[in-house]
Amino acid sequence: MRRLPAFLCVCVCLCSGLFLAIGSSADDLAERARKLHFSSIVLDTHADTPQRMLTGKFDLGKRDTDGHVDIPRMREGGLNAQFFSIFISGKILGPAAIQQALDQIDIVRQNVRQHSKDLTLATTAEEIRQAHAEGKIAILMGIEGGHMIGNDIRMVRIYSALGVRYMTLAHFYNDEWADSSTDKPAHNGLTDFGKDVVREMNRQGMLVDISHVSDKTFYDALEVSKVPPIASHSSVRAISNHPRNMSDDMIKALAAKGGVIQINYERNYLSEEYRKAFAELAGDVSRMEEKFKKECGDDNECIGKAEIKLEKELTDAGKLPHVSWEKIIEHIDHVVKLVGPDHVGLGSDFDGADMPDGLEDCSKLPKITEALLRKGYSETDIRKILGGNILRVMEQSEKMSRELQAAQ
Amino acid sequence: MVRAILCMGACVASAVLVAGAMKADGISEKARKLHFSSIVVDTHDDTTQRFLDGKFDLGARSSAGSIDIPRMREGNLGAIFFSIWIPSKVTGPEAVDKALVQIDAVREQVRRHPNELFLATTAGEIREARKQGKIAALIGVEGGHMINSDLGVLRSFAGLGVRYMTLTHSGNDEWADSSTDKPAHNGLTDFGKSVVREMNRLGVMVDISHVSDKTFYDVLEISKAPLIASHSSCRAICDAPRNMTDQMMKDLAAKGGVIQVNYHVGFLSQEFRDAEKANPELNKAIAAEVMKRCGDNEGCQLIEGDRITREYVEQGKLPRVDFSKIIEHIDHAVKIAGVDHVGLGSDFDGANMPYGMEDATKLPVITEALLKKGYSEGDVKKILGENTLRVMTEVERVSRELNAHN
Repeated sequence: MRRLPAFLCVCVCLCSGLFLAIGSSADDLAERARKLHFSSIVLDTHADTPQRMLTGKFDLGKRDTDGHVDIPRMREGGLNAQFFSIFISGKILGPAAIQQALDQIDIVRQNVRQHSKDLTLATTAEEIRQAHAEGKIAILMGIEGGHMIGNDIRMVRIYSALGVRYMTLAHFYNDEWADSSTDKPAHNGLTDFGKDVVREMNRQGMLVDISHVSDKTFYDALEVSKVPPIASHSSVRAISNHPRNMSDDMIKALAAKGGVIQINYERNYLSEEYRKAFAELAGDVSRMEEKFKKECGDDNECIGKAEIKLEKELTDAGKLPHVSWEKIIEHIDHVVKLVGPDHVGLGSDFDGADMPDGLEDCSKLPKITEALLRKGYSETDIRKILGGNILRVMEQSEKMSRELQAAQ
Repeated sequence: MVRAILCMGACVASAVLVAGAMKADGISEKARKLHFSSIVVDTHDDTTQRFLDGKFDLGARSSAGSIDIPRMREGNLGAIFFSIWIPSKVTGPEAVDKALVQIDAVREQVRRHPNELFLATTAGEIREARKQGKIAALIGVEGGHMINSDLGVLRSFAGLGVRYMTLTHSGNDEWADSSTDKPAHNGLTDFGKSVVREMNRLGVMVDISHVSDKTFYDVLEISKAPLIASHSSCRAICDAPRNMTDQMMKDLAAKGGVIQVNYHVGFLSQEFRDAEKANPELNKAIAAEVMKRCGDNEGCQLIEGDRITREYVEQGKLPRVDFSKIIEHIDHAVKIAGVDHVGLGSDFDGANMPYGMEDATKLPVITEALLKKGYSEGDVKKILGENTLRVMTEVERVSRELNAHN
């Protein structure tokens, strides 16, 4: 008698196993992925699309063949929450930097207003959820580079009041108070003033973004911030050994404080092979970049386009290797294996970087969900990676901001 | 007859009662009641300059200047526009930066005094502040040069809570002529017109204090919402270019606007103005003394300027101007433009105050004086604040309409 149940059990198991095998045919899994993706909040923490808006020719409402982000493609890719990056060169300082940052904040707000049927400006996790419930795309703003406060802590409050919800402490160059990962150290990390900036950001509910900063700045910020920092667009150094990426130790330290690393899709940051080949060509590339700067002047979109064209030519000529979008999955998986699924998310660098083959623009995002599902990730974990993790940090930031303001 | 006698008796009795209720400050019980049940709105105060040195505490009663929370409470000043001001000669990104710093200073004051102040951006929020027993703080930008000819900056200001902009200060800016500079644009340029249209859309009141007469008429023609003169008085009484002619006031009123009377003695009194003109050395001496006391601290300069001017009056070097001159201006404006088109724009902490209106605690004397002049309670309430609230409401309505059409 005892065997019967066992036998039955084997049968049930076998049968259901059989069913599962049939049930998870490619099409079925794809369908599950689609459902999961399009019912999730997909939140990307970094796109440089405001640079395109500045040209005055770009219409966010129209499907474009250039670039990576517009409303039709966001809809197609299920990208329903996007941080647009406020970016000016780290060489511009003082009142000029403030004025230009204001202009970009304004242009984002204007674009949201012009497309109010599709977009809504969000400044909290709750507003993102509300936008999602209404079928709208939530637009958020992040400032990419601490030089835009003009060395004046009061500008943190001004930007926060205008809706900015994260600030990257430095860009490619050191600013007045924080060292960059791609410049010669000048402050040994974060200066005392820089620490005050981080404290004010905590008080304002502005996320502390440690992408671009030097390792020492990262550890300083991690120590002083009362809210978990984020890396809005950085990848894994263990896979591509670039200073813009995070070492395993850094990722562990970030996770221990509850933070999130948002994976950047830039080929140089995704692929060691590409990074090395690119570095070997660096002399040629930087000479070309100088040429582009001369041709394009201050037009960052023009420079970006010329760079993309150059990299395509070099790739077609076999001088640079092809990089597959699956590298993104490799980076995500590395972080998950290292610190679990609560500390990784998406920070594409759309419209500001060279995308890998297969993820040419934001319409391709459902592939990430499908790949993770195929890898055996649970739906819950995938939702966290797509947006839930960053929403959690935003909520913590909002709570801490309320507490700090009440304590004063 | 009997009835008439009875009525007379009652009138006399109530007059005696009113007189009996007078306190030492000369404010009748009726005026006090009316004043303290009204929303008193003041559309121009330069107190912001005092915030900048980081030492001034708006929450503590000060013996200098005209504005702090205790004195606003005492005078029942219910809503105050703090002015964002930098000199006309500061332009470009530096002007934008300095304006942002002052906007932040106002916002921080509100944040530091959450039980007393409420950052308001609409007429409804002013009423809400009142309900909560708080003083509504609002923000006005005094001079179009602070947008650096950039509509984006204007929108950012609006986003930060700015609810009026004076199109120029003492000098012309890049797109509008000032009343105290040589005309350069024949009023408002085409860009200036687009500024006004954008202000209409944003719900930022267009303030025509300081602008040239031609700029005023250009604005009046183009603006879809009523205008305010946030701190100007009557030119028929005191012939200063900063004041409005009777015709300008009539035209302003015809479009629903309000002139907010400025208490500066140089705009109130022709006699004072003539005395200043007759002796330019006096002003130079005052300026020199101010610099000696304050250096480049703008907040200190404004406060000390008022104090030193008062010293000169005491020494008989300048004529004494009484607060009743404010009433004279209000009454003139009411006669010319109508009672729906006059309000209060003190210029506290930025000008020389007349005797009897040294600070916000003295505001009930205006209510008392207007009642005494025979103004109805309803009309007094309008002048104290309701007219300004009506313009704000209308500006908000126009903004909603323009945004809906976009």
